[in-house]
Amino acid sequence: MKRYLLRWETALLAMLIAEFAIFGMINPRFLNLSNLLYSTSDFAQIGIVALPLTIVIIAGGIDVSFASAVGLCAIVFGIANFFGMPLPVSILASLAAGAAAGLFNATIIHVSRIQPLVVTLGSLYLFGGAATVLSGVVGASGYEGIGNFPDAFTAFAYFELGGLPAPFLVLLLEAAILFVVLHYSRFGRSVFMCGLSEHAARYSGLPIKTIQTITYVMTGVFAAIAGLVLSSYFGSARVDLGTATLLPAITAAVLGGASIYGGQGSIIGTLLATLVIGYLQQGLQMSGVPSQISSALSGALLVVAVALRHGSAVLADFVAARIMAMNRKRAAS
Amino acid sequence: MLDFFARNRVATLCAVTILAFLLIGAAAPGYLSLSTASVVMSNSLVLMSVALGTMLVILTRNIDVSSGSVLGLSAVVLGMMLNDGHSLGLAIAACLLTGAVAGLINGLLVTMLNVPSIIATLGTLGLFRGVMLILTGGNWIEELPLSLKALADNGAVGFSVLTVIVISSLIVVGLFVRQTRFGRYFYAVGDNREAARHLGIPVKLVQIAAFVAAGVLAAIAGMIFAAQIGFIPNQAGNGLELKAIAANVLGGVSLLGGSGTVPGIFVGVIFLTSIDSALVFLKIPAFWNDFIAGAVLLLVLLLDGRVRMAVERAIRAKRYAVHHHTSPDQSTASSPKTMSKPRTQEAGE
Repeated sequence: MKRYLLRWETALLAMLIAEFAIFGMINPRFLNLSNLLYSTSDFAQIGIVALPLTIVIIAGGIDVSFASAVGLCAIVFGIANFFGMPLPVSILASLAAGAAAGLFNATIIHVSRIQPLVVTLGSLYLFGGAATVLSGVVGASGYEGIGNFPDAFTAFAYFELGGLPAPFLVLLLEAAILFVVLHYSRFGRSVFMCGLSEHAARYSGLPIKTIQTITYVMTGVFAAIAGLVLSSYFGSARVDLGTATLLPAITAAVLGGASIYGGQGSIIGTLLATLVIGYLQQGLQMSGVPSQISSALSGALLVVAVALRHGSAVLADFVAARIMAMNRKRAAS
Repeated sequence: MLDFFARNRVATLCAVTILAFLLIGAAAPGYLSLSTASVVMSNSLVLMSVALGTMLVILTRNIDVSSGSVLGLSAVVLGMMLNDGHSLGLAIAACLLTGAVAGLINGLLVTMLNVPSIIATLGTLGLFRGVMLILTGGNWIEELPLSLKALADNGAVGFSVLTVIVISSLIVVGLFVRQTRFGRYFYAVGDNREAARHLGIPVKLVQIAAFVAAGVLAAIAGMIFAAQIGFIPNQAGNGLELKAIAANVLGGVSLLGGSGTVPGIFVGVIFLTSIDSALVFLKIPAFWNDFIAGAVLLLVLLLDGRVRMAVERAIRAKRYAVHHHTSPDQSTASSPKTMSKPRTQEAGE
């Protein structure tokens, strides 16, 4: 029992319940089930990219380029559609572009042996620029983007199964798959090993480069999925579709318990953190808080939550050191 | 030859920049003129100031991604003070104080609560932006007084007061980190924090000082932004933090801390900014800008990484050769850049 109570995920769940309670008191309409479900469409994309990002972070890397990969893959889909490709081919092209983006990042990181943050920062600009250039090719303006999708595609974001809207379903399905992959597979264990100690992983014969490459490719593919979901939701593919997910997705991964130094994190944690962040924004909006204050509050939430987590670790270390010192004194006397 | 360029990232970048300028000048006559230089300089001032602050933080092996919001917040404080009828001097002082307090918050989060700096500053990035929006109520600040805008005027000499401010802060920071004891601590803390602690360096104080300095420099950038543009939009400074980090990386500042120079920052920023003006002269549509910036950044990183690896391999070969006929001078002279730097610093201390 204690084992489950003292987990970080439990704290996140408590945070989520507290959010529901507070916002429900302020505005009872917030707790309306259909409202709760449909508002997920506004933040599902954060979770879709935050989950594979969690795996990258656990393996000891980081990727910030997903934010513009989302836009790039959406534009690739839009262009394929523009030139009259059938829907499945366009979707495949977009996913392939995502995988290529991830592979590109991983290759540069391994060839140059430079910190992933720097490399993906460079590709953040490169992918964003490539998306802008590509959308310039078909003469799409920055704000309208590429539209005119088949009806079957635009209907997808508004499709529902058992009351769950499609973007949220995508997120849940993805979480289920990645949960099994990360926590119940050989690959998942080696991801944790890579992040905990790259040297130990190398000496025990793990193919580190392959493992890390897979994590980056996964991020690219899921960025493409996020791009597709967003273009379906908005009815047009724009370059800047993903820029707003950059900070919330990293926040979700970190708030979900991923350690920026690698080797720590969980899928459930990131999923819960996505919900905490998403519902915080929705709830504040519904309680009539101006959007400027809600952005300050979500920044403050991240700082407080992470400070609490690290602060409690510092405190625990301190207490442990005191107990050790006392024991030593007792033993000496 | 290879050795020289590998050790002098700044020299490499300088050579590349000059070569690029010459090529563009050959392709588009009229590019190489004093007026272009003046435009590039004044366009680079905001980024220069932010990048300089970011460098100080990166030197201590932290990172600051909140500088864009600090810029916005302090610019808003400046604008509101001025529009409330306070004097220019008082408003600038309040602006700089805002930056210092913002930096102090970052520094305390990182040192006292042990929050990893990228996460702490990611949080304050949202927090400061939110505080700024609360202050303005979501409106832009317009109709700034002429006294502020006058700061951005190019005088008869072709550069403005703002240029002088930025250049002098570059010189001050450059001298500070190279010539003073406390400045050298920045390198020591970034290179090896545990060793620095054992040497008795106030590790936490140094890190806090770096964050506060970054905050003040971001506030200076906010002042420049307000003076140059004449109004303060809500998204002032958005995305600048990433550009500043990119300029740092281009300028040879290692994100692992403990290595980097002010001239490097200068060249890196000028390089990034001159892409804009070069595109105009080459009649390339502006939407190529980010693509080219990203490609150049990655290319420099790739080349740098490969060259450094080649040099390290050569050095290792030399070091094994040294074992046969021992000469300690040679072994110190040929150790890699990252290792020889702190060593020479400590020798000078």
